[in-house]
Amino acid sequence: MVRIVIDILLAVGVFFTFIGVLGVHRMPDVFGRLQASTCIATMGTLSVVLAGVIYGVSSGSEPMTYIKLAIILLLVMGTNPVSNHALCKAAYKMGVKPAKDLVIDDYKEDDPE
Amino acid sequence: MQKPSKFAAWLSTFLFCLLFWLLLTLSLAPREIFWGVVISAIVAALASRFLIHHKAFYLYNPVRLVLLVVYCCTVFLWEVIKANVNMAKIVLSPSLRNYQAGIIRVPGSPEVKSEYGLAMVSNCITLTPGTITMDVAEDEQGNNYYYVHWIDVAETDRDKAGEAIKGRMERWIGRIWK
Repeated sequence: MVRIVIDILLAVGVFFTFIGVLGVHRMPDVFGRLQASTCIATMGTLSVVLAGVIYGVSSGSEPMTYIKLAIILLLVMGTNPVSNHALCKAAYKMGVKPAKDLVIDDYKEDDPE
Repeated sequence: MQKPSKFAAWLSTFLFCLLFWLLLTLSLAPREIFWGVVISAIVAALASRFLIHHKAFYLYNPVRLVLLVVYCCTVFLWEVIKANVNMAKIVLSPSLRNYQAGIIRVPGSPEVKSEYGLAMVSNCITLTPGTITMDVAEDEQGNNYYYVHWIDVAETDRDKAGEAIKGRMERWIGRIWK
C-alpha cells in the first residue's frame, strides 16, 4: 500500500519535471522559459522529496535521512523564487524582446526607479 | 517602525541558527552543541543586520508558526498544484495558443505592509508556475504594487487579476506577517 503511494508520488514528480524541461524547450522567449522551469522546482521536487520521506518513515531508517530531505525541499523552495525574480527582471531591463507582443505592460508605462 | 537593539537582533538570529544546527546534527552530545553555539554566534554576528529589521522576536510565537505551517500545507500547496496543472496544459498544447504573456500591475492589500510580508507574498507568487513577480513598488500614499509577469493573461482588470493571482495567499500571509 505504502509502496503504491510512493510510486504515484515519484511518477507525478517525474511527470512535472518532464513538463518543466519540455517547457524550457518549447517556450518562445526568456520569460516563458523561466515560468516553465518553476514547475521543476515546485511539483517536481515536492513530490520526489515527499516520496523519499514516506519511504524513509515506512522503512524505519534513521530520522536524519528524512529530516535532511525536508531541508533540501526548504532550500530549493526558498532559493528558486529569488533567482527567478532576479533573472526575469534582469532580462526585462536588458531589453530582451518578448516573442509575442505583451497583452498588457504596466511595467514599461510606470517604470519604477 | 522602531529598530530593534543590536543584541535582540543577534539573539534572534542566534536562536534560529542554533535550532537549525540541532535539526541538522540531531544529537545532544556536548561537542556538537559546543561547536553549534560557536558557529551560530559567528553567523549571527555577521548576518543579523540583514535578517532582522524590526521586531526581533516576531516569529517566535506558536500561533504564527502553526499558521505558517498550516498555510504552507493547505492553501499554498493547493495553489501550486492548480498552477502546475495549468502550466502542463499550456506546455502540452500543440501550438502554444494559450501563451499570451503580459506584465500587470497588481495592487497589494493594505494588510501586508512589512518587508517580510511583501517578500513572502512575492515569493509565493513566483513559486506558483505561470506568474513571476518582477518588482514591488510603493506609491506616495504608501500603497504597495506588485509587477507580475503572467503567462496567460485572463483578466486585464487589475483588481480582479490581483484576486486571481494572489487573493487567498495574501489573506493568509496577512494573518502571519501583517
